[in-house]
Amino acid sequence: MPEGITVISENLPYILGGIWVTLAVVGGALTMGLSLGLVLAVTQVYGNRTLRRIVAVYVWFFRGIPLLVLLFIFYFGILAELQIELSPFTVSIIVLGLISSAYQSQIIQGSILSLPEGQFKAARSIGMSDARAILFIILPQALRLSIPGWTNEYTIIMKDSAVTYALGVTEILARSRHVAERTYQHFWIYILAGCIFLVLTYIGTKLMQLLEEKVRIPGYAR
Amino acid sequence: MEELLFLRREVAPELLAGLWMSIQLIIPSAICGLLIGIVIGTLRVYGNRLLKGFAGLYVLFFRGFPLLVQLYLWYFGLPRIGIYLSPFASAVIGFSLCSGAYHSEYVRGALQSIRRGQLLAAYSLGFSRTRAIFSILLPQALRRALPGSGNELIYLIKYSSLAYMVTCIELTGKGSILANFYFKYMEIFSIVGAIYLLMASVVSWGLNRLEDWIAVPGFDRPKI
Amino acid sequence: MEEETRGMAEQVPMLSVQDVHKHFGGVPVLNGVSLNLFRGDIKVVIGPSGGGKSTLLHCINFLVELDAGRIFLNGVRVNHTRKRELYAYRQKVGMIFQDFNLFDHLDALHNVMIGLVQVRKLPRSEARQRAEAELERVGLGDHMAKYPAELSGGQKQRVSIARALAMEPGVMLLDEPTSALDPELIGEVHEVIRALASRGMTMLLVTHEIGFAGTLANEIYFMDGGRIVEQGPPQKILFDAEQARTREFCSKIGRLHENSG
Repeated sequence: MPEGITVISENLPYILGGIWVTLAVVGGALTMGLSLGLVLAVTQVYGNRTLRRIVAVYVWFFRGIPLLVLLFIFYFGILAELQIELSPFTVSIIVLGLISSAYQSQIIQGSILSLPEGQFKAARSIGMSDARAILFIILPQALRLSIPGWTNEYTIIMKDSAVTYALGVTEILARSRHVAERTYQHFWIYILAGCIFLVLTYIGTKLMQLLEEKVRIPGYAR
Repeated sequence: MEELLFLRREVAPELLAGLWMSIQLIIPSAICGLLIGIVIGTLRVYGNRLLKGFAGLYVLFFRGFPLLVQLYLWYFGLPRIGIYLSPFASAVIGFSLCSGAYHSEYVRGALQSIRRGQLLAAYSLGFSRTRAIFSILLPQALRRALPGSGNELIYLIKYSSLAYMVTCIELTGKGSILANFYFKYMEIFSIVGAIYLLMASVVSWGLNRLEDWIAVPGFDRPKI
Repeated sequence: MEEETRGMAEQVPMLSVQDVHKHFGGVPVLNGVSLNLFRGDIKVVIGPSGGGKSTLLHCINFLVELDAGRIFLNGVRVNHTRKRELYAYRQKVGMIFQDFNLFDHLDALHNVMIGLVQVRKLPRSEARQRAEAELERVGLGDHMAKYPAELSGGQKQRVSIARALAMEPGVMLLDEPTSALDPELIGEVHEVIRALASRGMTMLLVTHEIGFAGTLANEIYFMDGGRIVEQGPPQKILFDAEQARTREFCSKIGRLHENSG
């Protein structure tokens, strides 16, 4: 272990550098997941039958297929067929984003459905179009309610980002593996890697809690 | 037509072998994971200080570390301190321990949602703490934890694909090998994906049946 | 186990509560409560909310830790630190709760059976027979397969009485058995309690139903501020109490419950 410490401290900057890559992947995926998820959720609650069915299939698909398999399908399959060249980094964000959108749509949908029916009726009664009602009345409330579910989603994506190593993305785990192979300190390096993820998860969760506090509406009890 | 024949002769047997390996990974992991989850979850609610702390640390570690990192730890890390596990063993151990942490959260939530009066009533009849937990509280808690734990089971099916990353060749692994060999990435991975989807759907359906079957009238009341 | 010799009294009380103290986070709830129950006694505790009545019953059954005090069953001190002794004691003291506390995942029959099977280790067939008998006796023979959620409040409470009785206790503690019930359901539970009394069961009952208490009890305790302020036969306490507080309480409640019983 003593020699391990020097080894680890030497390589620490390299491994820590992976944090930026990880954060970029996670951030990109969550953003994509949120935007798509919003559209999907609204469609599922307010759309017509056909649209709802399409969304249901979408959700079923992206929640049922393993991340690793989807990464392979996209990177080796789709891109090869379509002759497009995208970096592993980009593909990872897209795939994680698609999967996240499926889960996030369920979170947001749940929040929307938990709002009392009266909210939408009241908006209509003052002459708002449906689109405005959704945008200005429903979503502000639903999004606030979704923050806890979102925090959960963040922790999941954070951990899933490690799988993108399979495509060669140089995130935390990939770098840890490189260092471990060179230095033979697999055990402690992977513990280190895990701790880094833990810390990132913790910080993110705390930030979410701060956000929840910041946007809290006084006296709003659900 | 030629495609289909090719598929049947070359690809199908390999994929089926991979699928069989996946099943061999999933079932033990699911069972162990659930058992671990019940133990850890119960310890977190009803254990003494020491056990509660241990259980808390367990959940922190196994839910905090990415699953892939955990798998690497067992397969690549342990040999450095003298323990050598086969790819299969690393995978099953990794899946069980990790899954157990998630199950324990559902069990814990379920136990906490049971009104304290149930425990008091059991005590008033002369039940010991242990017996009350086993005979009265856990049967109720497990019913309540079923949606969450069932969900975790679906996750397990998907994450079993990571066994490939520690060289345990299951469905995904076989797919990868075949795809690389025949350069038919799209087709083969699509089939692999479809098989996972099918597994997840069947299990999901089965869990819904199970929920209906064990449902007790009026049981979904939340904690008062 | 300590033997306590009661030199003066001829009978040994079935249940003896001595000098029980309990506080919750610095707030005293029981300030030295003592009482005795002899075989066949039916004693009722009345008093304003927050006076400690419910806590007292929970203390007697050791569902709540006593800060000070001793409990004796048939003259023998109950050593609640010995687990096995505690469990055996709790079997002999039955308890009825305000919110019934039926086991939600079991139907009425199994609610009554489970104690017999798990605690008294009776074979299932025998447990079933006894459970069925107890449920018949409280008038729920037709409802044995119903789950708690399918039963009315009065029925739930009757099941809980059957469940407690199945363990063949010597004493019953009843903690406001009808407080959570709609008015029209109170009667059926009172009937069962009355039947129990006529069979000679020793009972300590906490209730707001003063009229009912008056007809049933052979002694009434008035509790307030964690102490027994006054005790005596119903006629005295309810209509001619010595303490001002007692009189005040009884007159107020008496007016409300003029038609109860």
